[in-house]
Amino acid sequence: MNIVVCVKYVPDAQADRTFSQDNTTDRTNVDGLLSELDEYAVEEALKLAEAGEGEVTVVTVGPDGAAEAIKKALQMGADKGVHVLDDAIHGSDAPATSLVLAEAVKKAAGGSPELVLMGLASTDGTMSVVPAMLAERLGLPQITQLSSLEIADGKVTGRRDSDAASDTLEAPLPAVVSVTDQINEPRYPSFKGIMAAKKKPVETWSLADLGVDAGQVGLESAWTKVESFTARPPREQGEIVTDEGDGGTKLAEFLAKAKLI
Amino acid sequence: MADQIPFTETEERQALRKSVAAFASKYGEDYWLEQARAGKKTDELWADAGKQGFLGVAVPEEYGGGGGGIGDLAAVCEELSAAGCPLLLMVVSPAICGTIIASYGTDEQKQRWLPGFADGTRKMAFAITEPDAGSNSHNITTTATRTDDGWTLNGGKVYISGVDEVSDVLVVGRVESAKTGKLRPALFVVPTDAEGFSYNQIEMGIVGPEKQFVVHIDNVKLPADALVGSEDAGIDQLFAGLNPERIMAASSATGMARRALEKATSYAKEREVWGVPIGQHQAVAHPLAQSYVEINMARLMTQRAAALYEAGEYLLAGESANMAKYAAAEAACTTVDRAVQVHGGNGLADEYGLVHMVGASRLTRIAPVSREMALNFVAQFSLGLPKSY
Ligand SMILES: Cc1cc2nc3c(=O)[nH]c(=O)nc-3n(C[C@H](O)[C@H](O)[C@H](O)COP(=O)(O)OP(=O)(O)OC[C@H]3O[C@@H](n4cnc5c(N)ncnc54)[C@H](O)[C@@H]3O)c2cc1C
Ligand SMILES: Cc1cc2nc3c(=O)[nH]c(=O)nc-3n(C[C@H](O)[C@H](O)[C@H](O)COP(=O)(O)OP(=O)(O)OC[C@H]3O[C@@H](n4cnc5c(N)ncnc54)[C@H](O)[C@@H]3O)c2cc1C
Repeated sequence: MNIVVCVKYVPDAQADRTFSQDNTTDRTNVDGLLSELDEYAVEEALKLAEAGEGEVTVVTVGPDGAAEAIKKALQMGADKGVHVLDDAIHGSDAPATSLVLAEAVKKAAGGSPELVLMGLASTDGTMSVVPAMLAERLGLPQITQLSSLEIADGKVTGRRDSDAASDTLEAPLPAVVSVTDQINEPRYPSFKGIMAAKKKPVETWSLADLGVDAGQVGLESAWTKVESFTARPPREQGEIVTDEGDGGTKLAEFLAKAKLI
Repeated sequence: MADQIPFTETEERQALRKSVAAFASKYGEDYWLEQARAGKKTDELWADAGKQGFLGVAVPEEYGGGGGGIGDLAAVCEELSAAGCPLLLMVVSPAICGTIIASYGTDEQKQRWLPGFADGTRKMAFAITEPDAGSNSHNITTTATRTDDGWTLNGGKVYISGVDEVSDVLVVGRVESAKTGKLRPALFVVPTDAEGFSYNQIEMGIVGPEKQFVVHIDNVKLPADALVGSEDAGIDQLFAGLNPERIMAASSATGMARRALEKATSYAKEREVWGVPIGQHQAVAHPLAQSYVEINMARLMTQRAAALYEAGEYLLAGESANMAKYAAAEAACTTVDRAVQVHGGNGLADEYGLVHMVGASRLTRIAPVSREMALNFVAQFSLGLPKSY
C-alpha cells in the first residue's frame, strides 16, 4: 500500500512566537519542528507499511525550514519526501493550503493515493480543518480523528472516541484519514534511521510544478485578514485566602462569587 | 588527518542527540531516582534504549549495530546523563567490552557477543581494579595459566560495577608470554555463573541503580576461546578499550554538569530574596557562567578525543581522552557544587534533585581513572616530565 502522510512544520511552542510585519506568523526567525500531532500519523503509516508491502511518502507545504519536518519523518522511517516550497504560498489560509496539498498528494502518489494520513490538528493553527478540505478536493471519503485504525478488504475501519461514546467508522479505500494522539506511540528516530535518512529522496516542488495558479493562494487571496493583534495580558495576581479557621467558608464565598457553586 | 577534524558535530550526531534526549525525557530523573532508592535497576530504560539501537550505535553494522563511532555512543551517554537517567554500564559494556571484542575478537567471538551489544540484550562487566594494585594496573596479580584445553584463572577484583546484572565479565589478567616468559596483560571473558567465580556487594554511599562488587576468582576453568585478542598484544588492546572508557566517562560527567547547571540557572532566575532574582548578583551569576565555559570546553575536548579515536589517531586520542576526562570531572564537581550553593538549603533537599549528584560528581574524579593519574599522563607524555611513579 502506498501511503501519503501530510505533515506540517510548526514554530516550536517552547520558543517565543512572534509575528512578521504583514501580521503573519514569523516562521523564519523561530525554531521549527514537525508538528507533534503529525508524528502519530507518520507512526501509523510506518506501522501499516511494515505490516505489509508499502511505501510511505511525506508531504509538507511550508517555508525553507519545513525540510526539517520531512527529515524527521524520514529519520523515523518514511521512504521519501516532498516539499512544496514557493514564496507565493506565504500567508495562505486553510482552503489554499488544502488546494496545494491536494495537487501535491496527487502528484506524489502518481494519480490517486491509496491512503492519506494526517494529524488531528496542527499544533500552531489547530483548526483541524485541512483533512476535511483535502478529502473534498481529492474527491475521497474522509474519516477523521481516529484512535484506532485497521485496513482490510479494501476498507479502512477505525474508532473515533468522544466524551460520551465511541463510533466505529468505515470507508472504502482510497480515503483520507486523520488520527489522534491516542492511536499509537510515535517512535524516536533510531541511529540507523538517522543515518539512512541522509540517502532518502526528497523532491522540492513549486506551484508551477503542481500546476497551481499563484493567484489562488497566498496572503492576498486568503478569506480572512488579520488586521491587528495584541499580546495576551499578563495574568493578574489571584486572591490569597489565609486560613484562620474559616478557610472553608471563605473558599465557598469565593466560588459563590464566581458563580461556580 | 588529525588537523581536518571539524569543530562542530555532524547533522546526524545532532539528530541523534535530539532523539536520545526526547527518548530519555520519558524516563528522566524521577524514574531513575525512584528505581535507585528502591534498590531496583533501570532495566526498562536499558532494554528500551537497546531496542532503539542507542546502545549499539558503535557496533559494526554487520553485527546488527549502527555502524557509528565512539563519538556517537558518547553522545547517547551524555544525553541520558543530561536527562537525569544515566546508564553506568554503558561506559563498560558497549564502550569497553564492545570495542575490545570488535577490535581484537575472533570472528566467532564477534558473532557470539556483538549482536547482543548491538541491541542491548547482552551486558558485560569489566574488571581491572584490584585491591592491592589500585591505580597501578601494572601490579595486577590475577593470573591465567594454560591447561590442556584452556585456562585456569586465579585472583580477585574490587569495585566492579554491575556484576549482579551481567552474564559475563571481561577480566584483565596476566599470562606468561610463550615467547619471552614475561607476564603480560591479557583479557578473558568469564561467565558470572562459572564455578569458582563469586562476588559480594560493597555498600556504597552513592545513589545509583548499579552496584559495585568484590570479585573472587578461585581456580576458574575457562575454555581456550575465553581469551580475547592475542596473549602477546599486551597493553595496546587494553587501551583499545580504556580510551573509549575515558571518553564515555567524560561524556557522562558533562551530561551531569549540564543538568546541574540547568537547574542552577533556572533557579537563579526565579528565586528572589532582595527584590531581584538572585542570578542578578554577580557572585551567583559568575560561577554559573564559569561552569558554562568549563562544561563547553570539556565537551569540545571529549568530542575531539572521539574524533581522533574514530580517525585511528590512537596516540593523540589517548592524550585528548585523558584531558577530556580530567576537564569533564572538574566541570562536574565544580558545577554540582555551585548548583547546590545557588539553591541554598534547597540544594540539599531531595526534592531539588541535586544532593545525590554530589556523590556522583565526586565519583567522576576517581573512576575510571583518577584525576591524578590523568595528570600523570599529561605530565609525562605531553610535557616530558620525569615519570613520577
Ligand atoms: C508557509 C505558510 C504560511 C502561512 N501563512 C499564514 C498567514 O499568513 N496567516 C495565517 O493566518 N495562516 C498562515 N498559515 C497557516 C495556515 O493558514 C494554516 O496553518 C493551514 O491552513 C493549516 O491549518 P491548521 O494549521 O489549522 O491545520 P489543521 O487543519 O489543524 O491541520 C490538520 C492536519 O492537516 C495537515 N496539514 C496542515 N497544514 C499542512 C501543511 N502546511 N503541510 C502538510 N500538511 C498539513 C497535517 O496533517 C495536520 O495535522 C501559513 C501556513 C504555511 C505553511
Ligand atoms: C562507583 C565505582 C565504580 C567502579 N567500577 C569499576 C568497574 O566496573 N571496573 C573496574 O575495574 N573498576 C571499577 N572501579 C574502580 C576505579 O576504577 C578505581 O577506584 C580507580 O581507578 C582508582 O583506584 P583506587 O580506588 O584503587 O585508588 P588508589 O589507586 O588507591 O588511589 C588512591 C588515591 O591516590 C592517588 N594516586 C595513586 N597513585 C598515584 C600516583 N602515582 N600519583 C599521584 N596520585 C596517585 C589516586 O589518584 C587517588 O586519589 C569503580 C570505582 C567506583 C568508585
